Amino acid sequence: MSEQVDVVLVDDHHMFRAGVKASLDARVRVVGEAATVDEAVQVVHDLRPPVVLLDVHLPGGDGGGGAEVVRRCLDVPGTRFLALSVSDASEDVVAVIRAGARGYVTKAIDPTALSDAVLRVAGGDAVFSPRLAGFVLDAFGAAAGDVATGDDELDRLSAREREVMRLIARGYTYREVASELFISIKTVETHVSAVLRKLQLSNRNELTRWAAARRLL
Amino acid sequence: MPSRVRLPLRRPERGRWIAGVATGLAAHLDVPVAVVRIALVALVPVAGVGAALYAFWWLVVPVGDPAAAAAARRPSTMQRLARRQPLRSDGRRVPWAELALGGLLVLTAAVLVGARLGASIDAAWALPVLVVLVGVALAWSQLDALQHGRQDGRRISVLRLIGGGLLAAAGVLLVVGQVVGQGVEPVLLVQSGVAALAVLVGVGLVMAPWWVRLVRALGDERAARAREAERADIAAHLHDSVLQTLALIRARSDEPAEVARMARAQERELREWLYDDRNEPGVSLVAALRAVVAEVEDSRSGPGGEPVAVDVVVVGDRVPEPDTLALLQATREALVNAVVHGRPPVSLYLEVGPQSVEVFVRDHGDGFDLDGVGPDRFGVRESIMGRVRRRGGTARVTSSPERGTEVHLCMPVGGGGSGRGPDEDEERDA
Repeated sequence: MSEQVDVVLVDDHHMFRAGVKASLDARVRVVGEAATVDEAVQVVHDLRPPVVLLDVHLPGGDGGGGAEVVRRCLDVPGTRFLALSVSDASEDVVAVIRAGARGYVTKAIDPTALSDAVLRVAGGDAVFSPRLAGFVLDAFGAAAGDVATGDDELDRLSAREREVMRLIARGYTYREVASELFISIKTVETHVSAVLRKLQLSNRNELTRWAAARRLL
Repeated sequence: MPSRVRLPLRRPERGRWIAGVATGLAAHLDVPVAVVRIALVALVPVAGVGAALYAFWWLVVPVGDPAAAAAARRPSTMQRLARRQPLRSDGRRVPWAELALGGLLVLTAAVLVGARLGASIDAAWALPVLVVLVGVALAWSQLDALQHGRQDGRRISVLRLIGGGLLAAAGVLLVVGQVVGQGVEPVLLVQSGVAALAVLVGVGLVMAPWWVRLVRALGDERAARAREAERADIAAHLHDSVLQTLALIRARSDEPAEVARMARAQERELREWLYDDRNEPGVSLVAALRAVVAEVEDSRSGPGGEPVAVDVVVVGDRVPEPDTLALLQATREALVNAVVHGRPPVSLYLEVGPQSVEVFVRDHGDGFDLDGVGPDRFGVRESIMGRVRRRGGTARVTSSPERGTEVHLCMPVGGGGSGRGPDEDEERDA
């Protein structure tokens, strides 16, 4: 990908926005910023950027934070969201992913990896941080050996998906996962996207409970 | 004195003589207690105004510490975190209620003895009035108990209310019978009783919405209080830890390694406080693991003397046992190796399965040749692999210049994990 990817940066801390802006490399260009839910919805509708870097916790709107921004921007085609958070709380992560975000990374991510993640999301792939992979394994009961047998099952991971998630949780990059499992990076991306789809659509108790708890707030 | 905010009217528990009305008034008006007491007593002969006022305030003024009530009125986000001193710390409360009850009993006994000795006391009047009074006192006493916030006394207070109501009703009926004379018919009594009950039910129905709204508003207010208390708790924590660390960081801003280490330690502590369940010590393997990570992060530095952060991901949790303790010690050694000899990022992944606990420690260093290290000096062989294998677990180290080093530890465990119980023993290839 030779072209620059336009990004809108949404975070309520000015200091953090400045830091991210300075650390993103030349492949990514920040075209807009927003600090609240309403501002973010406005900016995204105006600029229609390919990627939005979105903080999970945002003031304003109906109090739904990042998940609310994603939901209110569903009518903008071609815009994908990458959630960015300091939060370790699973319900925050799951809420924004289930609202439609394409990935989740922690704010401690190093600058090159963040730019990589932006490009990956712009290309339509999902981005999982080690911590999100950990959440997924936890939520789908994969550690207890609860593994799907069929492809169309939404409530469990397949054995291969579990393997990929475990490697990501161990700190492997997509490239390292690919070489460890003797598969192509494209296949790794396919597996991760499948897991993201399950995370968004599954009715597993753990996930629906998180979503319900979030909506009650 | 600058214009102080007037304390709200409350009846304090401490320093009271009877019900705390005078103490509360004194705090509210900011005058000495003695003045209020003298004024009240002085007003008693004036057609009983003093006594009436006292009784009125006793009933309508809630129990509580005025200073605390004043503090609670301000939103807790704006509140000082240090607690105020209580209004008056000395003074034991004289048990006036008990004394009054005793006096009443003595009086009753005297009356009974007098009647026995032939003194003509018109007991026909005294008894109904006494019954009414006792009933009313019983009913009102639960209000006082409720204001004390004794939640466990709820059923007892309902019983008190019912008992008091019945006593008062019986007393009223007796009084009515006394007034009308001996000739009152039971039928009439029942009829008037039914009529009175109907009126009460009617009024109750009309007042019900108001009552329901009152109860709901009370519930809402309680919830808001709880939220504010939580917010104050968070503010206090931020003050204790974060502000102090920030001050330390500013004081040592010329030592980047030390600043990074302090910032990392503070971040870890804050995260733990914000997002983790605060488990009792000794019940969570994950908590023990985090403590190990914290210790390594705080005490060890990378090859260049810089602090190294460990990226921890955990799946599942269980109660620690001797085997997992050995696993944790081996994990610690692996972490120390990764931090001191490897290169960041250092990742730690713990997975608690139904039959085993697995740990992966990974760094991005240049790797090393496992076979090229002499058996005499190598910490890895004994302190990491030996520890785990002696307990029946497996340990594997993979290392390469491109991919760094990864230590994989696996310890079979019994039941109690975050999954099913133990049914089959894992294959052990030590």
